[in-house]
This record gives sequence, structure tokens and C-alpha cells, in this order.
Amino acid sequence: MSIELNTFGAVLKFAIEWEKRAVAFYEAGARNRLLAPFLELAQGSRKRLRRLEQARREGVAEMILEPISGLDGAAYHLELPPETDDLALWKQARTLEETAARFYQDAASRMPIREVARLLEGLAQENLWRRESLDRLNLAGL
Amino acid sequence: MEYGILKNYIGGVWENSSSAEVLEVHNPATGEVIARVPVSTPEEVHRAVAAAKEAFPEWRETPPMARARYMFRLKALLEEHFEELARTVTTEHGKILDEARGEVRRAIENVEVAAGIPSLLMGYNAEDVASGIDEECVLQPLGVFCCIAPFNFPAMVPFWFLPYAVACGNTYIVKPSEVCPISQSKMFELLDAAEFPPGVVNLVNGDRRVVDVLLAHPDVVGVSFVGSTPVGRYIYATATAHGKRAQCQAGAKNALVVLPDAPLGPTVAAILTSAFGTAGQRCLAGALVLAVGEVYEPLKERLVEAASRLKVGSGLDESVQMGPVATRRALERIHGYIEKGLEEGAILLLDGRKVRVEEYPQGYFIGPTIFDRVRPEMTIAREEIFGPVLGIIPVADFEGALEVIENLPYGNAASLFTSSGKFAREFKYRVRCGNIGINVGIAAPVATFPFSGMKQSFFGDLHGQGRDAIQFFTERKVVITRWF
Repeated sequence: MSIELNTFGAVLKFAIEWEKRAVAFYEAGARNRLLAPFLELAQGSRKRLRRLEQARREGVAEMILEPISGLDGAAYHLELPPETDDLALWKQARTLEETAARFYQDAASRMPIREVARLLEGLAQENLWRRESLDRLNLAGL
Repeated sequence: MEYGILKNYIGGVWENSSSAEVLEVHNPATGEVIARVPVSTPEEVHRAVAAAKEAFPEWRETPPMARARYMFRLKALLEEHFEELARTVTTEHGKILDEARGEVRRAIENVEVAAGIPSLLMGYNAEDVASGIDEECVLQPLGVFCCIAPFNFPAMVPFWFLPYAVACGNTYIVKPSEVCPISQSKMFELLDAAEFPPGVVNLVNGDRRVVDVLLAHPDVVGVSFVGSTPVGRYIYATATAHGKRAQCQAGAKNALVVLPDAPLGPTVAAILTSAFGTAGQRCLAGALVLAVGEVYEPLKERLVEAASRLKVGSGLDESVQMGPVATRRALERIHGYIEKGLEEGAILLLDGRKVRVEEYPQGYFIGPTIFDRVRPEMTIAREEIFGPVLGIIPVADFEGALEVIENLPYGNAASLFTSSGKFAREFKYRVRCGNIGINVGIAAPVATFPFSGMKQSFFGDLHGQGRDAIQFFTERKVVITRWF
């Protein structure tokens, strides 16, 4: 089912919900070898959440509140069923970061407000770094 | 009823009005009554003025730096309650959340600018204006001011004035719109939490009867108003006849001129936002598109196509791009204008009356409406509709577009869409409108600039916001000094 991301607020709300979900995912999965890295990622997501909420408050400019087109939240749909296995959690985390990077890149390219577009680009870049940090854990060998 | 009967805020105390008369406040998306607002009694208005008058001497003596700190506290509170305020605006007015957020943001920006009052309030001086004589000019507050606010920006408009007035050392009374009074109640909860001294800021609910008491009151020194032209003219005439300062920002019929060299994609997006944002209930809304030369056909086609895709519904739904109009009466008036347009021979390309929002059958919805072949003499080209109705007037050339604008009775805003610096310069130089947009559909001045207006769109000389506000809320005293 399509999730219309056709306004500034709809895009920011989707992003905020995404980060909330990321916080919950990393906190729930923080154990064993994933304890420290997941807690760090959860903390990072909390900061990202605050930056997005700030952007929603401060980035809105009435002069350029133009409709946004071509962005559908359904394209970034992600199932994260509860896992107990570290490797499965690690794989989910990588997918989460990759999907987030894709969403933020797409959203940035359609966002008419430059400061907010820059924020979204920055978040996409961070997601790629976060995925790299997961890769460095080398859990694939588990 | 979500908000109950609204209270007045007088002398630092929330109080119930003793008035037996209350008016209903509706959620325009659902048609439900969400609050009741009292028509405050003359005695209550007098008490608000008395409280403001009593607070003035001490507040005036409070150092500007200390007054600025109240602004910082208020700003922090507004940020903290930002989403709640935006949702309140949407609930009582109908505009979509993004527009409500934009409104609250602009209110906060005025608080931020007013927080600079220690610098803004500095006068100037000169030594040796004559032999051994120095001269200085100081800015001083005057006393009790009031604001008579409109329904279309219920959170923001009083904040074009209040922060500057009180930062300058005056005391203040807000009379919110009786159609959308809830947002100001919320703002005043935050003013209360910021702990302004009792009487510095006051809120009195009501309708025209409250306004008339304020306008005639000998202790009110000035009035700020935003609303329609007939009411603005009345307020200006009445206030000035009573010896008050007055600034009355009034109606509009804003033209958006599109030249053939304008990039159509972003131009269409900007026009849509201008014409249909806040369901056309902005005094900066684009109401007429003046399509110059060969741009007329492709522009018309793309406007209709894009406008027909705008999603109409409850403003609280983030995916909605246009909310309802504020009242049933407004809806009926807009329908009347559409009928009038048809009677006068305009061609209805997109009929917003056909739009239905299934979830909210009682809501005051009307979709984007576009008339083609509008002529400048038609009613829909001359009168302010204050709804999502856009008229397209084909014009032969740039000069023809300027002539249409010049002949409009209003002078609030006008925009030009072009790639030509030469035409842009001509446009901003020659057009008699207070707010000019160049490739901007909503020429909304930020808080450091005055919200201007000319012709029948403004009565007075100093506008809201920015330096104009500082001038309006102070008087200049010149001191000439010689020491023997």
C-alpha cells in the first residue's frame, strides 16, 4: 500500500518514525557482541531523531512549502521480526541502515528547503558510515 | 467539546467571563463544536485596560536587557510546545500541519527579533549641534496597546505586534478572532508561564463589541489590526478619531505574473502553493495569474493538471495538501463567488465544489478552483474571495500585466515569475504593492522586515514586524543639552 510522502511534514514524520523504530530496534538487540555497537547506534538514532524534530520545527518556510512528488514510503518498507540470533540481528541492522540511506537520499533530492535537504543528505551519509561500522564487526563469520 | 469555554487573561489571572453570551468555535474539518468563546463584557475590557495601564510604569522602567530575557523564556516555551501549538492551529483553522508549523515558526521569529530590543531601542545623538550644545534622540514606550486579530493566522498575527510592543516597554491586550481564538489562549498559557509581570500582557475574548470598547477607550494609545478592508478602514477611522495610533493591514487581491521565459515546473509549484495553500485564506494568497503571451496555454494546462492532483482533507493528516476553509459561512461565500464568475462569463476549468472528503462529510471543504478567461473588470478579478479560487487572465505583454495590477484596488502583494533580471527590476520598481515576490509565490516578509501593504490593503504608515514595529510602539524624544 502506498504511503504518500507528498508534503514537508509527511517526509519529516516518516523520518522521525524511522529513527524511533531504529532506536527501539537497536536497544532491543543490544546484547552479547552487539551490546556496545547497538547501544551506540541507538544513541546515534536518538540524536538523529532530535535533529529531525528540530528541522521540522525550524526548517519549515511558508514561502516555499511546495508539494513534494515521487516519494512513496512503501518503497522503504522494512520487516524487522524479533530475532534472538546475533547474526540475524546484524543482518537486519545492515538492511536497516542501507534502506535508511536510500530513503534519505531520495527525500533529500525532492526536498525544496535547502537546509533540510542538506540534513537529509547528511543523514544518508551517516547511514552508510553506520553500515560500515557494522561491517567492521565482522559478524558474518559467526 | 475539547477546549471548553475559553477564559480571559487579565492582570496575570485566568478568569471566566461573566458574559452570558458565548459563541461556538468549530473544527472546520469535522464541523464539530470544539470550544466556546465568550463575548467579554465592557467591564471586563475596562479591567484589562486598567491592568495594562497599572503595569505600565514599572514595566517601562524594567531595563530592556531584562525585558529581553522574558522574550528568551517565551521563545524556549514556544519551541517546547511547538507541535502542540501547530496542531491547535490546524484544529481550529483547518490549514494543514505544515502551514500551521510555518505559522508558529513565524510567530517565534518575531519573539526572536524582539529579543534584540536592547539594540533595537537605542537612540542616537550628536555633539556640538550648536556651540557647546549636544542633542540626543531617545525612543520611549507610550502605554497600553492592543491587537485585533484575524482568524487566518490565529497564532502568528498577534505576534507581529505583541513581542515588539512589550519589549519596547509598553503593555498589551490581544483580542483574538472569535472564529479561531484557541491558539491565542495557548500562546497566553506560555506568556503566563514565562512569568511576565501581571498586566503586561492581557487577553480579552469577544467580537466587534469588545473591539469598539477598546477603540474608544481613552487609556489605549494604539491599535494594530489585520483583517478585511472594510473593517480595517473602520478601525483606522475610529481609532484615529479617538487620537490613537493605528496600523491596519487589510484585504488583498494578489496577482502572479508569469512571463514566457519563466521555468514552468517550479513556477507552477509556486503558484499552487500561493493560490491554494491555507485554502486561499492568506492575505498573501495569489488570486490572479496574469499569463503573458505564449505562456498562457501551457501554463493553464499544467496548473489545472497539478491543482487537480492536490489532496484535500483534514489538515491533521500529514499527506493532505489542502485543508478546509475556516467556516461554513466562508464556504458559502466562496460558492457564491464561483457562481458569480460563471454568470460573468469566466470559464470554470477546475471546479472545487465537486471535491468530497468522505471521512468528514460535515467539513467545510472545497477543492482548488481555477477560472480561465477572467477579465479585469469581473467581480472575481476585483474582490477578495479569500478561498482557493484562482483566476487566469491572459495578457499580451508585461506592460499589460502591470496595467492590470495598477488598476486593482488592493496593493498587498504581487509576484513575477521570470528568468529576466531586467523585467524583475522593472516589476519591483514600478508595481504599487507592499510585498513583491520575484519567483516567489508567497512574498511573506520575515520578522526583521515590515509586513507591508499599499492602496486599500493598508491604512496607516508603520507596519507590523521589524523596524516599523519599533517605530510604531515608541515615540521619539529629542533632548538638547547645554551645561553652564
